[in-house]
This record gives sequence, C-alpha cells and structure tokens, in this order.
Amino acid sequence: MLTFIIRRLLIVIPMLLVISFLVYLGLELTPGDAVSHMIDPEAASQMSPAQFEALREALGLNKSFLERYATWVYNMLHGDFGRSLSGGVPISEIFLDRLPATLELSFLALLFSTVIGCSLGTISALKRGTATDSSLTVIGMLGVSIPEFFFGLVSILIFALHLRWLPVGGRLMPGYETFLDRAPHIILPALVLSLMMTAGVMRYSRAAMLDSLSREFIRTARSKGLPEWRINFVHGFRVALTPVVVLIGFRLPTLIGGSVIIEEVFQWPGIGSEFIGAVRGADYPLVMMIALFSVFAVLMASLIVDVLTAIIDPRVRLS
Amino acid sequence: MNKALGIALAAALQMTTTHAYADRANQLSDERVRQAIAYAIDMDTIVDTLFEGKAIVADSMIPNGGFKADGLNAYGYDPEKARALLKEAGWDETQVLDVVYYYGDQLTADLMVALQAYLGDVGVQMTYRKLEGDVGGQLNALPASGTDTSAVTWDIAYGAKAALALQEYYNGYQTGKSSYTPGDAARDELIARINGTSNVEEQKLAFKDFERYENTVLSDIPLYYQQLFIYESDRLDRNGGQYGNEQFNYDWGIVNWTAEPDETGKQTLYTNTAPSQFFEHPWLNPGVYVFSKIGLDHLLTADGSLAPTGGQLAESYEVAADGLSVSFDLKDGLTWHDGQPLTGEDVVWSIETAKGIPGLNPVFANTFDAISDISTDGDVINISFAKLDPNMLLTFSQFAPLPKHLLEGVNPVEFQQHPFWQNPVGSGPFKIEEVQMNDYVRFVPFADYHGGVAKVEEIVAFPSGENDGNIIKNATAGRLDFGFTKSVADVQSLEEMEHMRVIPADIPYTRSLRINKFANISE
Repeated sequence: MLTFIIRRLLIVIPMLLVISFLVYLGLELTPGDAVSHMIDPEAASQMSPAQFEALREALGLNKSFLERYATWVYNMLHGDFGRSLSGGVPISEIFLDRLPATLELSFLALLFSTVIGCSLGTISALKRGTATDSSLTVIGMLGVSIPEFFFGLVSILIFALHLRWLPVGGRLMPGYETFLDRAPHIILPALVLSLMMTAGVMRYSRAAMLDSLSREFIRTARSKGLPEWRINFVHGFRVALTPVVVLIGFRLPTLIGGSVIIEEVFQWPGIGSEFIGAVRGADYPLVMMIALFSVFAVLMASLIVDVLTAIIDPRVRLS
Repeated sequence: MNKALGIALAAALQMTTTHAYADRANQLSDERVRQAIAYAIDMDTIVDTLFEGKAIVADSMIPNGGFKADGLNAYGYDPEKARALLKEAGWDETQVLDVVYYYGDQLTADLMVALQAYLGDVGVQMTYRKLEGDVGGQLNALPASGTDTSAVTWDIAYGAKAALALQEYYNGYQTGKSSYTPGDAARDELIARINGTSNVEEQKLAFKDFERYENTVLSDIPLYYQQLFIYESDRLDRNGGQYGNEQFNYDWGIVNWTAEPDETGKQTLYTNTAPSQFFEHPWLNPGVYVFSKIGLDHLLTADGSLAPTGGQLAESYEVAADGLSVSFDLKDGLTWHDGQPLTGEDVVWSIETAKGIPGLNPVFANTFDAISDISTDGDVINISFAKLDPNMLLTFSQFAPLPKHLLEGVNPVEFQQHPFWQNPVGSGPFKIEEVQMNDYVRFVPFADYHGGVAKVEEIVAFPSGENDGNIIKNATAGRLDFGFTKSVADVQSLEEMEHMRVIPADIPYTRSLRINKFANISE
C-alpha cells in the first residue's frame, strides 16, 4: 500500500504542473490583464501609455507568458505563493483569512447532507414502493434540479427577511467571540449548500441499502431471529455505507468549488467569493493558487478514497 | 499579422492593398448624421419607461444649473427631421454601426435594444456589444498624430462622464487627446477659455459659448443626467446636516449625526463600501468608499454641490489675486489617528507622491501638474503655480493628505499595494477600531478630532458595494442605515421600505453617446 501511495503522490506532481499550465494559459487568453481591470475606463483615458507600462512593469506583467509562468512555478517551488496584484496582499494571508470560512461552511454542509441524505435514503429503501418512498424520490429530484442560488434567495426571503429567525448573510459581526455567536450565520448557507448533495446521497444510499438488503447474509441474519432494526441498521446499513463513503469522499473537494455561488448569495467571506473577484480582476497569482488548491484537494480526495476503500473492503487490492 | 496576411493575399490576387484593407470612410464625421441620430432617439420616453422617471433628459454634457446656456437645441424626438437630415447627408442605409458599451447591468442592455429600434426606424442600422478586457485601451486609443483615421474600431460608444470639475466634460476634446474627436482649433480656443480663469462669471460665459458650439457639432450626443440617490434609515438623524454629491466629500455634518440606540443601547450605524481585500486609496475616487468619507480630512471643505466653503484641516487660506499662489495655515495640534502630529510636511509629501501615481484623479493631476513650487513654513504651506488652475480650491477640498511617517518611501506605482491599505490611519472624525477584512470594519469616533467628537458611537461598514444586490437585502434586514446608489431598481425597492427614506441629488454625471468623428475608422 505504501508503494501505491508514494506512486500516486508522485503522479500528482506532473498532473499539477500540467493543470497549472492550462489554467495559466486560459487566463492569458482572456482579454485584458490585471492593469486593465484595475483602472476604470474614465481614469484610463487620462493615463499615458508610459504610465500603463510602468504599472505593468511594477507588477511583472510586461514579461512574456512563458517567463511569467516559469517565474510563478519557481516561486511556488520555493514556497513563495506571491501576492495579489490588485492589493499586494500575500496570497498565503488571503488563504489563511478566507479558507477557514469556506472549510467550516463546506464541512457543515457535508455533515448535514450526510446525516440527512443517509437517513432519508435508508427510510426510502426500507419503505420501498410506498408513498413515502415516492415522495422522497420526488423531493430528491427537486433538490437536484433546482439551482442552489434560487434556494439561497428563497431561504433568505423566508427565514431572514420575513420570519427574521436567522441573519441575512455575512459571517461575523462586531462582538462575536465564539462559534456559537457565529452559528446563526452559517445555518442557512450550509443547509442550502448541502441541499443538492443531500439529494445525491439520498438516492445513492437508497440504492446501496436496497442492494445490501437483498444479500444472503441479511437472509441469514433474519433466519437467526435477529430483530429487524438490528438487521437493517447494523448489518444492512453498515455494508451499504461503503459506496456512500466513497461518494462523500469525492464530494468533499467539490464542496469548496461548489460554495462559490453560495458565498456570493450569503455574503460569506470565503475563498469562493475571493475567487470570483480574482477572476474578474485577472488577478492571476490568486486565481492560480485557488485553482491549484482545488485541484490538489480533488487529487488528494481521490487518493484517500482509494486507500479507504481498500481498508474497508478486503476484496479491493491497491496496485 | 492579419494585416500582413491580407497584404500578401491581396498581392497574390493582384489587388491593391487598399482594396483588401481599406479603412472605412466614416459618415458619422458629417454633423448632419449626428444630429439625425439625436433627433431619432426619444429620450423622454426612454427616461419615463426604462428609467421610471429617475433620470433627467440631457441637452448638453454640462448639468442643469448656473453654467448651462439658455436656448440649446434639445433635439426632441423628430423622426421625420432625422430622415430628412440623413437623406441630405447621403446616408448609406446598408452600413451597420458598431455601438459599444462597458456596463454590465440589465438597464444598459435594455437601452441598447431601445436605441437599435429608434435608429432602425429612421434607417440607421446598428449592432451593439459590451467591451471586455482592456476597456480603457479599446475606448481611448489615440490615432497617430496628424492622421484622419481613428485608432478605435467602434462607431459609437455609450458611456458616462462623472465630473468633479465641469472642465472635465470638455478638456478631453483637446487636439490630440481624444480617441473619437479630431482636433479643431476653434474648440481648442474654447477649451483654453474655460480653463483660463478662476473668475466664476467669466467661466460661466466661456462654458455657455462652449455648450452652444457643442450643441451643433455634437461631439457627444448627451442622453440623460444620472441622478444619485441618498438613502437613510429612520434610525438616523442628520440634525440639520446637508445632503449633496455623495460620490465626493462635502460638509455633511457627520459629527452631529445621532442614531436611535440599538438593542444594546448603543448608537451604532451600519453602512457599506467597506473593503473586501484592501482599502482603496483616496486619490482616484476621493469620496466613494467609507474610509475616505469618514476617516480622512482635507485642507478645505465644500458644500453639497462641491463648491469649496472654508477650511477643514486649514485654519485659514489665502489665494493671490492672480490665482497663481495659495497658502494654507493648518490648525494647531492636528494629529493622525495614531497620535502622530499632522503637519505641513505630510501635505507636501502627499502632493509630491500623488503626482507619480498612475490613475490619479484628473482634477488633482491638473492642479498638481501646474505647481511650480511648494514649501512649508511652520504650519503654513505655500504653493505657487506656473499656470492658473481654475479648480485648485476644489482639488484641496477633495484631496486627502496621508501620513508621511507611515508611507514614506512607497513606490508610487505600487501605492495601492502598500500594507498601509490593510488598516489605514487617517485624520477624519472616525478612526478604524477593528478590521475583519471582507466581513466588516468598525469605526469609532476619533477622540482628538479637531472638529469635536462625533455623537454616533460606532459605524459598522460591510463590504457590500455601492451598486450591488446586497443593498436591498441588508436594508430590509436593518443592516444599512446610510449610503447612496445610482441604481434605479434599488431606489424603487428602497422607496417601498417604510423604515427607509430616499433623497435624490443632482450630480454632474452625464450619460452620452460618444460619436467617432474621424474621417476614417480602422478596420
């Protein structure tokens, strides 16, 4: 297994290089650069070409594409993540500031979707063919098909503006000291972010549970006279959990990317909303780091899922 | 490369290069065509419908008021006259005008549809597209000296001119400075007149002559004057403080504002325009962001229409009779928010540093470019000018000096990237108490403020911008007590809220069609 892990980690390096090059190239091909986004058109009309050139030179944008990319890779390998072009803030600081917000939102959404999705999927499987099963199936389909920004806006309208149970958005307010102070702010965005994933987990766990319940060991358990709850939840559910864990593992990194829209809707100051600003402003060092982090998270999740699957299921051999 | 390829192809096909890559002749260089376009657009209907009446139809780039000439042709909707003018000018109905814009809002897209319909009705076809990427370059590229071919590729550009000083409306037309208006000696003379005096009555006469000239030649077709809308919650009482052009700085009496205490018994007000990654420096947009508005003072202060009215950091000031020198005597005991003394050295350093900053506010740039000498004598700052700048006092009512002791040595080109802008130190009535970047910024009264300690105990600013969708959400939730917007849709929603009031303000902000008038347009 150790050889497998080392080999996979080594493969990650060229993959990251190729992906980073493609992202860099994509940014290069978009019209304009950071300078053209920094200065509004009215102010730009008052600037001389020499001033533009000086600004580009100061930000290192006057070098060729390959030179800039090579410099970026070199700096990365030396632990220098660079600075945001627009505000000069070290990117490591931006990550340290924003990532916790995104991670707490993503993990809570993952928790909500896992608990609710597995519970409803199990109920749906146990009540197969009944009105409950059909209702949950319809709800699941709605959860998958309605865009999350719509859910977000509707939930703000109902729970924040009409009922006034929860805040309209944001993460912190003056005077907050503990997580409990902040808790009301995270409930709505985490629930909305978890919604689409809940539907997926529910459908997946329903199928896995049905598959598990049709196995011979379940029949054996019943013949031994075990109580029905024990057969379903101890024997059936435990086996059904393996593919669901795999699904959740793969979804974890995508939650970081998936939170972009939710962060915008709920004014959540995470890495997703930062990414939107960076793309709009052609702030390539920041875009590159966020993109690379997302890619790295996906690759690592893939590795962890493979290892976990091998540990859980003895039939799986890592090679 | 495309052009080289075209030339090679033309040679191969035994064509002249002129046939392959001719710059197209521009019929918009004929003023009758421009006048026809002005007559073809029914701005009254557009303002009543698209803008819900929340704009004012423009008949000049200069806003209504004392500087506006009487008897200007308003080019009221007259499609028959438009068709006649086009016929007289020999308009080629097969050509399709390329109209560009740079706003991303739905209202602009709707306006483009309306313009297309109005122009189509008189036989002028147009397409429209939003500029992306290097918008400044695409709008403002200047033609080579002496050529009659424009360097920009568009026919018409929809945009705005938001002027701090009225001269900004016309200074850009100077020969060699405009991407869409060829040089013209008569116009240059008119520009020299509006810049050549600080006497208000003489300025008014010069502006009126300019407006009459432009009213015929239509370098820009003025469409409408954008209004600004100030909104406030019923928790806020300005206690007689005036309202005015909120995009800039004026004496709004914030020290005397009071707020209804919140549930904790504290007078806290909520607003927006806090930073998401860094505080924007105040030398480009001097009054848009909350720190610039409440955290920084200026040598002079101004009224709601931005006319300088007296000293702010300056106890007094004196302008020479010829307008070529000014001296400011700073108040005694001024300090920055960190307790360090605010001196004439800070002001001099700020002016000298600002001169090197790309994208410096153009009014500031004109004033500072005219400076021939600057010195300090104790608390007195003496400035001499090589030429008269009619907006010198306006500049010093908007230009905020910054602390030399914290910024000295900064490279002006990387001014915005300095760490100072993560938690800046100012001189205004409120100082920064806490920065939670991208969450909120908390301001508290500056205890040593020279104008007295503010009564409001705390101002909390969120990063929601001037025109973003969070305004309505935050206002509805009681998290927005004051601010301003130019968005018509926001204004309608704010007006429907019982706890909010909206006060319209006329500002110098004119939306127009910039017409490319060069004889030829680059392909």
